[in-house]
Amino acid sequence: MIKKKKIAEAAIPTSSMADIAFLLLLFFLVATVIDVDTGIGLTLPEYVEDIKNVEVPKSRMAAILINANGDVLLDNKVISVFQVKDNLKARIISKIELPSNKKLIVSVKTDRKTKYDIYIQSLDQIKQAYFEVRDEYSNTNFGKKYNDLVETQQKEVQAKIPIIISLAEPEAVKK
Amino acid sequence: MTFEKRRANTKQEIPTASMPDIVFMLLLFFMVTTTLREVDVLVKFKLPEAKAIEKIENKRLISYIWVGYDSRIQINDNLVTLDDVEPIMYAKRQALPNVIVSLRVDTNADMGLVTDIQQQLRKAYCLRLNYSTTLKI
Repeated sequence: MIKKKKIAEAAIPTSSMADIAFLLLLFFLVATVIDVDTGIGLTLPEYVEDIKNVEVPKSRMAAILINANGDVLLDNKVISVFQVKDNLKARIISKIELPSNKKLIVSVKTDRKTKYDIYIQSLDQIKQAYFEVRDEYSNTNFGKKYNDLVETQQKEVQAKIPIIISLAEPEAVKK
Repeated sequence: MTFEKRRANTKQEIPTASMPDIVFMLLLFFMVTTTLREVDVLVKFKLPEAKAIEKIENKRLISYIWVGYDSRIQINDNLVTLDDVEPIMYAKRQALPNVIVSLRVDTNADMGLVTDIQQQLRKAYCLRLNYSTTLKI
């Protein structure tokens, strides 16, 4: 009798597949950057050739001036950067119920030699003031924090407390 | 008298057959979430800290401008001069109309330079801006 030829097993060795996959995984783990970009958002105004100066009543304005040494002037009073928030909050709250053309405008003006850091700190203070007022307003009216509101409610709060920040161009250094 | 050792009759093996599948799933997740670093940053900078910060929801819209401690400006892979900012950013805006410009500026940079860049951005109609900061704890 003829012996039947033994059929060779046709199997792919898969024991090392896990290792290979792990190597690939490791590569992507190392290459992944998960850090989310965070920062202070802002929208610039459009560029216009000839600037028309619009008169704004003093009561609407909160003028913040920062000089080269990092001293902060809010409506002609010298304060520290960290007082900006509390000063602004009261003024924002007082204007919640006013129509949209009478809301507070925060104007920030710096010197050309002002350090970027102090500018960001003051912007941060302004934003914090607005965010806190928005949170308080949503808490009293909707019983939730601003970020937890649904979109229509957020729009409503935004209409009541719009963030208006005006960035004035710095003046050339006077000699 | 001999004691019989009590042993479970079950097999003492961890089934590894599905391990590659699990690993591939993980792999796939990381492959999808990875955005490979596109540019080398040529300037040295330390970001300022702030509390009232927002996340940028769409990473693909972001275009960066770096400003180092020595006032050098970098866009994409090159160091550029101030006058180059406008044409480059205008081209970027045409490719991506709702581009968000993320300014990564060193804490010690002068505001004059930052304002000049902002003027250029205004001329280039890149109006959505983000001052990149880290979270102050």
